[in-house]
Amino acid sequence: MANPYFPKLVTIEKITIENEARDLKTFRLAFCNRDDKKSFKYECGQFAMLSVPGAGESPIGIASSPLDEQYLEFTVKCYPTGVVTTALHNLEEGARIGVRGPYGNSFPLKELERKNVLIVGGGFAFTTLRSTIRYMLNEKSRARFENITVIYGARSPGELIYKPELKEWEERDEIEMYVTVDRGDEDWKGREGFVPAVLQEIAPSSENAIVLVCGPPIMLKFTMLPLLDLGFSPDRIITSLERRMSCGIGKCGRCNIGTMYVCKDGPVLSYKQIQELSEEIF
Amino acid sequence: MLQGLIKKEDLKKLIASVKKEGTFYGLIRGSEGLSLSELGPDDEVTLDYSNFKMPPKRQFFPFSEVICTYEDESMTDLPLSEEKAVIFGVRPCDALSLLYLDKIFIDEKFTDPYYRSRRDNSLIISLACREPLKTCFCTSVGASPAGKKGADILAFEVKDSLLFEACSEKGTRFMENYPAIFKKPGKADIKARDEEVSAAEKRVQTIDLSGITEKLQGCFDSPLWEEISQRCLGCGVCTYTCPTCHCFGLYDEKVELKGRRIRVQDSCMFPSFTLEASGHNPRTSNEERMRQRIMHKFRYTVENFEDIFCVGCGRCISNCPVNMDIRETLAEVIK
Repeated sequence: MANPYFPKLVTIEKITIENEARDLKTFRLAFCNRDDKKSFKYECGQFAMLSVPGAGESPIGIASSPLDEQYLEFTVKCYPTGVVTTALHNLEEGARIGVRGPYGNSFPLKELERKNVLIVGGGFAFTTLRSTIRYMLNEKSRARFENITVIYGARSPGELIYKPELKEWEERDEIEMYVTVDRGDEDWKGREGFVPAVLQEIAPSSENAIVLVCGPPIMLKFTMLPLLDLGFSPDRIITSLERRMSCGIGKCGRCNIGTMYVCKDGPVLSYKQIQELSEEIF
Repeated sequence: MLQGLIKKEDLKKLIASVKKEGTFYGLIRGSEGLSLSELGPDDEVTLDYSNFKMPPKRQFFPFSEVICTYEDESMTDLPLSEEKAVIFGVRPCDALSLLYLDKIFIDEKFTDPYYRSRRDNSLIISLACREPLKTCFCTSVGASPAGKKGADILAFEVKDSLLFEACSEKGTRFMENYPAIFKKPGKADIKARDEEVSAAEKRVQTIDLSGITEKLQGCFDSPLWEEISQRCLGCGVCTYTCPTCHCFGLYDEKVELKGRRIRVQDSCMFPSFTLEASGHNPRTSNEERMRQRIMHKFRYTVENFEDIFCVGCGRCISNCPVNMDIRETLAEVIK
């Protein structure tokens, strides 16, 4: 009987510090065992449990794309009160940790085919959206999607993550990028303003379009109304939820909301599904 | 259906025979009251009780258990228990609770191997109830003093004997293994059993739960949760002693480079249960947690599995330090 609680061993190949505050790091992982690598088949929007022996496990969204065959990436925010995230941030390249997963459902990429895709992200909740953008921009898949528009915001220029990639995407023709910060500094020549305001200003068309939106609860709360105003029906607004989890496989009960478990019935949900839940989500 | 009669004094013979292949668990009265314990042939099997304190889920989903150990950077998962066990003396309400736990721990996609191996290796002999407690309400939630669901064998006390009835193939095979121990019951034994069962059923107090799930669907935002939860201390004893509560956490313990990952039962009644590393907590108040506990048992599990995850054992009532009574809570919801 396979033990679903037992993590697969991985090596941290590379650590990238993503922001000025240095509390966001991207961990590039490689499986120590070839069979484990083969069996870890994931889709955009899924998550995995990162396991640091001695500290415990945390559910983290997968930031690399399924088409990135050579590696697996997770961007992790370190919280002073977070036992696992702190332990992870204290590790160096070459250290070994565990991974369990992939878990949960994924962004409905099949449904996005032949449609315009709007991506709205805020802060470090951009990780699984980055996975999706990387996937869609891959030459193997780009032709399946129509226009791709990205609105991404952070508190300050130093807090924008995946900076080299943002720059690369801004230079490409197959994607339209709107990067914004709440407040710029003297070197910032880009856009300023909160994500919902930028969304209203750009006013992307909702015709034949689906929007994927991830961000802190407060951003989600204030982004829904402008999206509805633009004509996105609640079933075409797709987001991803976070909850404390222990098992990731629908048993431990922590992420239960109504009849669903965020770990196995989510984390990806439409705004329509969220409206139908009794508990207030954001 | 295979039936067999065994003299109470001959239970020791059965225990001795079982012990050749596995472990026999029964009830022993110890310093912490009655509890399921491993029995030897010289132990006195207690039959004189209504129910025991800790539900039988502890046999399959222990309060805490190590699931893997690690040293330096390598991890090892713990081998599964291969102990063959006979668990004797579980009440029918508690035997039913195991079927509910099966729905959580054993499913198509992910099966909990620790729970599963113990379930597969165990045989449940339920003991029909003769003296329901004032806190019992099993017949209102689909269980009964002589219910067979979840049992491999249902035993009845009939004068100086026990009447065993096989309720599953596993139970039948077990009884067939010990032809010398079981005698064929007579008509008088069957009659005595029927009288006991019917008397016990009449003694169980009932509550009206008709429409409880529909009522709960309409009262998520009701002020009644605030009223109900005012008295609750949030100690979680209701969830720890509940035979169907199964929430847990995985925690690491480490000394220098050696450590272990432990699965520990947790409770939705604790604020830390849903507290995230960021400090965000989706259920901050006692009121929300109380609502979650009741909604989970009487609404969400009905919508997901068509079962109320309550067997009416009354442990949450008898163990509550502030005398909260789930029957009153449910009556408030229905009102």
